[in-house]
Amino acid sequence: MSSHTFVQALLSGILLGCFYAVMALGFSMILGVTRALNLAHGDLIILGGYLGYWLWSGSGLHPLLLVPVAGAALLPLALLCQWLFQRLPEPKELSSLMLTFGLSLLLQNFMLGLWRGEYRIIASEPLTASVRVGSLVLNQGRLIVAAAALILVAALYLGLTRTRWGRAVRATSLDREAAALLGINVDEATRTTFLLAFGLSGGAGVLFATLHYLYPAGGIEVTLLAIVLTIWAGAGRLRSVLLASILLGVIETLTLTWSGPRWRELVVALMLLGSLLARSGGLARSRSR
Amino acid sequence: MPRRGWIGTSLVAAALLLFPPLSGFHPYYLYLVSTALLFGTLATSWNLLAYAGQISFGHAAFFGLGGYTAALVSLSGLSPWLALALGGAVGASGAAAIGMASARLSGASLALGTLAYTEIWRGIAHNWTAVSGGGAGLIGIPPLTPLPWLPLDLARSRTGSYYLALAFLLLVIAVFWGILRSRLGLAFAAVREEEERASLLGVHPLPWKVLAFALSGFFSGLAGGLYVNMVRVVEPDLIFSHYFSILPLVMATFGGLGTLLGPALAALALYLASELLLHPYIPAFHQLPYALALIVVALYLPGGLAGLLPSPSPLPKRGEGETRHGAA
Amino acid sequence: MALLEGQGLSMAFGGLLALRGVDIAVEERQVVGLLGPNGSGKTTLFNILSGLLHPTAGEIWFGGTRVTNLRPWQISRLGIGRTFQIARPFVHSTVFDNVLVGVTFRSRDHVSRGEDRRREAERLLATVGLAGKASALAHTLSLGERKRLELAMALSTRPTLLLLDELASGLSPKGREEVVRFYGQLKERGLTIFAIEHSFRVLARVADRLLVLDQGAIVADGRPEQVLGSPRVVTAYLGEEE
Repeated sequence: MSSHTFVQALLSGILLGCFYAVMALGFSMILGVTRALNLAHGDLIILGGYLGYWLWSGSGLHPLLLVPVAGAALLPLALLCQWLFQRLPEPKELSSLMLTFGLSLLLQNFMLGLWRGEYRIIASEPLTASVRVGSLVLNQGRLIVAAAALILVAALYLGLTRTRWGRAVRATSLDREAAALLGINVDEATRTTFLLAFGLSGGAGVLFATLHYLYPAGGIEVTLLAIVLTIWAGAGRLRSVLLASILLGVIETLTLTWSGPRWRELVVALMLLGSLLARSGGLARSRSR
Repeated sequence: MPRRGWIGTSLVAAALLLFPPLSGFHPYYLYLVSTALLFGTLATSWNLLAYAGQISFGHAAFFGLGGYTAALVSLSGLSPWLALALGGAVGASGAAAIGMASARLSGASLALGTLAYTEIWRGIAHNWTAVSGGGAGLIGIPPLTPLPWLPLDLARSRTGSYYLALAFLLLVIAVFWGILRSRLGLAFAAVREEEERASLLGVHPLPWKVLAFALSGFFSGLAGGLYVNMVRVVEPDLIFSHYFSILPLVMATFGGLGTLLGPALAALALYLASELLLHPYIPAFHQLPYALALIVVALYLPGGLAGLLPSPSPLPKRGEGETRHGAA
Repeated sequence: MALLEGQGLSMAFGGLLALRGVDIAVEERQVVGLLGPNGSGKTTLFNILSGLLHPTAGEIWFGGTRVTNLRPWQISRLGIGRTFQIARPFVHSTVFDNVLVGVTFRSRDHVSRGEDRRREAERLLATVGLAGKASALAHTLSLGERKRLELAMALSTRPTLLLLDELASGLSPKGREEVVRFYGQLKERGLTIFAIEHSFRVLARVADRLLVLDQGAIVADGRPEQVLGSPRVVTAYLGEEE
């Protein structure tokens, strides 16, 4: 591998990592606040993607304009899921896996019913062009997606660190009971987290659909990716998720240059199993270690 | 623990199950009932593993390994019967391999590990084109050949696979029944209830957990092999589909964890209801009952799956001891 | 050499030192009592001796064999049995099955007929007075019955050394009297006993020797009348006696 391809791969990897961060954050935030593992996370992203595709093919609008629309469309689902997650019996990690395995199947069936099994992608003209920076060639679509992702992550970061509700969310995610004792409205913080996480996932779906083909069962790979990143970063930790995503993006780009794209899902699944074996503790308790 | 009344019930059920082919069922319905019986086998083997305290979200891996093995062996010209047996063996080995992970993983982590394991095998099947045929899979899997010592023509048409599916289901139920009455059942229950306490009584937990995985994987692999033999094709996205992980989980939890016949009966009822009542009218949504059943079970199963698992904390709950104390 | 010997046993949980270089020796066929205020490290010591925890430093010898880093089932098979202060039966199994587990799996190369094992489990239940409860589920038992079951489970592996964790605590005076008698019976059967008890009165009657643990270190070791009279022990315990 020449140094030139290396730099090229590194840059593409960083761009990919920003995109991964947006795809993983929703999962990580919900795990942080509720200790529930959302296996339907990837399906939510695919659903957002389908909505984006549907709106885009109907209206021809720029896909980026559809990011907030798809995000907003998932908000009612956020409230429904919060209502369901609250009712989960202990231990929440296991019962949430069951519940969301069911939700995942439900969403997949729903998408299969509405859009059948066909593969869809938002092939918007402005996104497919290439940009030359010096001697490096970057895909404009990836650049835009990464920029959009970074803006979303930055906005979320500011929201969580600089605002009152952000502090409430972080305190709830750190220790729910202690937060409640300190007078923080943990139910409201939980609701906010669900709304944000689902909105983010819906929007991320539109970004996803500009880069990858959508199909109803395609969510599992995204879910596994989000779990891997959450294990690496710890639940609900924004900056770590971004760093872990960039790391994964770079690793992936470098290994794909070497092995070809078809091994990707296999590699993600192997990483998940490896990460689980390496830490072998509860997933939600990552913060205290 | 199963009650004795169940044995009588199962005999009656078995007798009833012999009827469909004899009374001239339409081949399509025969195929449906056969598939339902396969799901019964899958659900019972899932339950067998859960009896040892291990919750799997990846039975599709064992099912698919059995399917691919059976397909490859019979395509290579060897007897399809041998292919089925080897499918079971490979299913068992594949399950034992991920069972080793239970040394470090339990509960939700193990469930996620088994989920990832299915994806790993799906990925391998997709990419190892020279052997697995890649995404297109393998076609033209030969049918079962007649056996000289069997009076019934098991090998031909849907009737053969129907009886075989029935035999597999009865076999897994019989084996589970035997296990419940043996040292195995005692070890499985002890490991499930409190692994640490069991280890203080001389039980080395890991081999028992791996054995439970292997047994469960064996029957799942048998079912996978027969399934492939029935549909005559095998594709990675078809056979390593999470459908084959979700359904046994739903059926076993819905039918009653730790009961001998509940999972199989739930499998027959849920599968036939969804295929016969829903599929003709709303084909896209015929999986809806499983999804809803899973959600209901997750929310309302008494004690959740946890009733089945070793207590999550290594120390007994203080509250419980003190209540007892007060009552005594 | 004593049946059980521990040398320089230390246990650190993160920054917390639960045990700091503890030396113990339990002679064969003795009843050795272990005393100490809450948090002094008694249960940690038992967890180390039974293999649930591996000590940060130190060595353990049992019957001349080094058992320091052995796993719980290996230690159990060598002949160390234990009870828990708060009973930990297999709550969804029958009382009978609870005892049968140890009888069945106590030895790797133990070949016996199922019938013999069942008879032995029945005998064990009779020994602790639970014969009538054999088919009850363990979670239906009262506190006192759970303690009996706990003891039967510990005996089910045919141990030569028993680690007993507060057998008498939480019991009525009558129950305690029974526990004292039980200690005597176990000793008569040739068992060696290492027992945590909170009650001085119980220990004074059953123990041949007493060890006192305070803040992870042994602060007294000797005959019961010596130890219980020592000012150091009284200081450590002020306000602890019931």
